[in-house]
Amino acid sequence: MEGDERGFRIAVCADALVNPEPGGLDALAVCARAGFGVMQLPATWYPEEVAAGWLEQVAEQLDEYLRHGYAVVLVTRAGDEAGVRQRAAFAAALGAIGHGLPPEHESSGDADALESFLRAQPVPGAAA
Amino acid sequence: MAEPNSPGVAFVAHCLLNQNSKTDGGARCPGIYSPLVDLLRERGWRIEQMPCPEHAFLGMHRFWLVKDQADTLAFRRHCRRQAKVVAGAIAVHVGRGTDVVVIGVEGSPSMGVRITSSSADWGGRPDKGDDDYPLVPGRGIFSEELVAELAERGLGDVRASGIEHQLPTYDEAAEREQISALLEHSDGR
Repeated sequence: MEGDERGFRIAVCADALVNPEPGGLDALAVCARAGFGVMQLPATWYPEEVAAGWLEQVAEQLDEYLRHGYAVVLVTRAGDEAGVRQRAAFAAALGAIGHGLPPEHESSGDADALESFLRAQPVPGAAA
Repeated sequence: MAEPNSPGVAFVAHCLLNQNSKTDGGARCPGIYSPLVDLLRERGWRIEQMPCPEHAFLGMHRFWLVKDQADTLAFRRHCRRQAKVVAGAIAVHVGRGTDVVVIGVEGSPSMGVRITSSSADWGGRPDKGDDDYPLVPGRGIFSEELVAELAERGLGDVRASGIEHQLPTYDEAAEREQISALLEHSDGR
């Protein structure tokens, strides 16, 4: 794939890390540094009908990446009870199409820890 | 939990946070298109990522295509299904009185806002290169379905613009000015 800029690496990120509170971890900045694209999970406070459709669509797109050897990880926020419930719903959406949850980093707000986790992922098969 | 101090919410095309959804040769960077993210961060805008209709429907190994090639009933239904979720999320923010904008990708057959692509000659043997990508005024298919879905919900006044990085006339400074204007309400609808 000469001239292809794609990184073949994707972090599925909790909304709270895509839209951090002031002083919170900016997952987009860390993912950009590590060469990862981001798929955003819905805000945990969205109504069920929005959140369910959103998770289903993320799972559908992830299926394509997973089948083609992309590196996929999940990045969630530690101590987030609503996030735990969303994680279960996301696992169900992935399970419905035959996938389990990808490797997960539960962030406590440490940018270096997240970057180390991302950089420690194996070279994706799609990048070979 | 929500956007207590945010001036607004930008619903952005999927590929602007994930260039992996682009076709081979279409990505500008490994993952995140930082010029837009940096601008939204500077302005304090909340970011919401829309799905990629082409990646979800046609997959990783699709060829480049123009709007005409994707403009089928099945693809429109797919886009409308995705647009319903996006419109539902937009409705939540509008219901809270939050300003909302949509940022697509100009030139895209699905995500174009003011410029899309069209040609009756594209089809069959995949021999079309980037030198003759046929840009035309108009919305992409997803954008059309989103506008229709928003109108049905009485949300027809959501402002929209598009990133221009795949246009031959791309100018990053001009693009920043245009998106800034969109965020500041001074742009046309």
